Amino acid sequence: MTPPPSKRQRRDEYRKNATEAISAKPDETAAVAQVVKLPKKKFYRQRAHANPFSDHQLNYPVTPAHMDWASHFPAFVNPDAAQTNLIGTRKLLKDVEIVDIGCGFGGLLVGLAGLLPETLMVGMEIRVSVLDYLTTRIQALRAQQHQKLQSQSQPASTTSTPAAPTTDVDTPSEAPAIPEPTAATDLIPGGYQNITAIRSNTMKFFPNFFNKHQLSKIFICFPDPHFKARKHKARIISETLNAEYAYALRPGGMLYTITDVEEYHHWILRHFRDETALFERVPEEELEKDDCVQVMREATEEGKKVTRNKGNKYVAVFRRKQDPEWA
Amino acid sequence: MAANFQHPFQCLQFVERPSANLLVGSAGSKLYSYSAETGQQLATWPQAAASSDGAEAQSEQGPPEKKRRVSSGSRANEASFPAGQTSEKSQAPPAWSNIPILTSTSSGEYVVALTAEDKCIRVFQLQEDGTFVQLSERVMHKRPSAIIITSDDSTILCGDKFGDVYSLPLIPGDEPYVATRVPRGAKLSQPAATNLTVHTKGNLRALEQQQRLSSEAKAAEDKSGLAFEHNLLLGHVSLLTDIAYVSLPVDASSSKKRSYILTADRDEHIRVSRGLSQAHVIENYCLGHTSFISQLCVPHWAPEYLVSGGGDNYLLVWKWAEGRLLQKVPLVDQATEVAVHGIWAASFGDLRVVFVALLGSSCLQCFTLEADGTLNSQPHIQLSGNVLGLTSIEKDNTVLVSVDSIREPDSTQEWRVSPPSPSTVIEAFRVKSGTSLEWEPAATSVTETINSTGTSEVPATTADKQRKELNDSLYNLGHLRKRKGEDE
Repeated sequence: MTPPPSKRQRRDEYRKNATEAISAKPDETAAVAQVVKLPKKKFYRQRAHANPFSDHQLNYPVTPAHMDWASHFPAFVNPDAAQTNLIGTRKLLKDVEIVDIGCGFGGLLVGLAGLLPETLMVGMEIRVSVLDYLTTRIQALRAQQHQKLQSQSQPASTTSTPAAPTTDVDTPSEAPAIPEPTAATDLIPGGYQNITAIRSNTMKFFPNFFNKHQLSKIFICFPDPHFKARKHKARIISETLNAEYAYALRPGGMLYTITDVEEYHHWILRHFRDETALFERVPEEELEKDDCVQVMREATEEGKKVTRNKGNKYVAVFRRKQDPEWA
Repeated sequence: MAANFQHPFQCLQFVERPSANLLVGSAGSKLYSYSAETGQQLATWPQAAASSDGAEAQSEQGPPEKKRRVSSGSRANEASFPAGQTSEKSQAPPAWSNIPILTSTSSGEYVVALTAEDKCIRVFQLQEDGTFVQLSERVMHKRPSAIIITSDDSTILCGDKFGDVYSLPLIPGDEPYVATRVPRGAKLSQPAATNLTVHTKGNLRALEQQQRLSSEAKAAEDKSGLAFEHNLLLGHVSLLTDIAYVSLPVDASSSKKRSYILTADRDEHIRVSRGLSQAHVIENYCLGHTSFISQLCVPHWAPEYLVSGGGDNYLLVWKWAEGRLLQKVPLVDQATEVAVHGIWAASFGDLRVVFVALLGSSCLQCFTLEADGTLNSQPHIQLSGNVLGLTSIEKDNTVLVSVDSIREPDSTQEWRVSPPSPSTVIEAFRVKSGTSLEWEPAATSVTETINSTGTSEVPATTADKQRKELNDSLYNLGHLRKRKGEDE
């Protein structure tokens, strides 16, 4: 008798099938009846920490002009095939403007996608499995939206309606707390074509992806708190890293932070204070009107977890000021 | 028994001074000074025997609390080595085995040296007679990997293994230093985690224990950081490999200048930041290397250009203020793994020369840098051993090169069977008069005197383990290369 497949084996198999199912979809017009499934998170778990100082096997462009964005945003590729970047891939019609640093399972991106359908957003994550999940998830969401659009354009066909219950079964095991409400039922503006995820170590390679003043928003949601004092150098927010965020953010651009660790919140406030003078804190009143803050509080996986555990959420948002006059 | 080897000069610097010009160098654990005119050895530091003149080291702080690895295997006393004390003390071997960084102020009055194992930045005043008087010693937390002095001779910029760049005043003020803000590693009186942020059983238990401990007693130990004035200017999340401090005129017409800090790291980045007070403003990046960067060279006659090199088998030439790559210059014919050990620039009359030495190579490559920034290859100089250091005496159209007399030429590991005869630690070349760049041996009396005086001896009987340690102290760039390993 053969023993049941090991956890790892099942995981690998599941992931392989999930990727294949999605990549096969666009060609098979006959398969409209079968609604694309979202990946299950339990097959993509990975320990919550990664050492930002070690040499991971990362792929990153030599310069921002060497980045192949076209494969990430096929819907935004410049129709002029002559427009290519330094490695010969097609250029986009617009630049990436929003970055989620440490995007995790991608709750923020998915939440923002419909809110800002014409803005290109990228999530950056250092953990391989988590990124695999998110990539599969985005592909699945795009495919679902595609199907939805098609079924709407041919209202005679009713094949997709009975499919709804199937998706309910597919939602992750934590389903009660993490609903995927809009996933298969609603049409989202932009159809999730404007979001993508990249594996990277932003502490090291941020300037390889983005030009000076390219970004309008940076999100840092529930960063690894690195509780021990001797690990503080590994925190994603520090005086020295803030300089890099300021480089990539355009004047007037915003940097959003949220954490459930009060000490870290004060750390953030301290490190964005006076000395750099490149950022100013955005007052609370303004934040209430900002939909992005709402998404950050409620839509991120970590945000939901904190709500579930009745923890506190500390939000701090900063605006990039103009560069100071030369001293 | 075979004759003993001589420690080669790891650093060599020509120091121009109003009275008599000097040569200073570091070899083994010592500093040496020579007359640039005659080659006569003037002084060494630390001094071997008790001689009370000079070298009045003032210990500014107690011995560092952290245990250090002393690669020579000796548990030396950790304090400095004030001369004129008991001979017993001054004969104890120093706490370091080599001095990897040595630089001098533009006035020639001060010399800054880094002693390796104790991570100590030492500032010396060079006396008229060439003796070293140590003014200060400042022990850094992390191993410094690049040290330069700003062009106004007032500030030391120190980049370290953790990627941070600090500024330190060259001459510390008289007032005792008071930390003005909480250092980064400030001790927390309370754990930052709460039962709202950690949830698993193990973590909760750990938290409980931490809370009990912190309520029992405030930690007595106060690692308050460095006990001298220092400012964190900027940081890379990578090992910092080189720094340059450059001033450029604001525009062609004005005489006003802007200062910049250029920093290079192990992760292929060259960052261009504003000068001291605004170093947090990043002006741009020079990206184009695909391996670590080890050397930045901004020629003093053409500060708008930057030549950079490292683990790639090419050099890159930049118009750095715009982050614009001008040229990629191949260093070797075929695709071999090389590392750039040094890049030096010198101007001899109309000739603008850039010298490049690869790690563990006895060939000194020469280029001319044209006014438009193109780098043209010129005939190389062949030396008797691996190139370690280089300094130019521009008024004499001369370069002095320190060579490795211990290892076989073009090897970083193999020791020679016997030391070369005559002993050669330094060689000199002069530009032949003419239009093209050609070299002839020069300043023979100076080099002969230095070579015959020698430095400290390395016994030919040195065991393999010590040999390897000595090799690694000179040829350590290989550690910067990334290894393809496991991941997840």
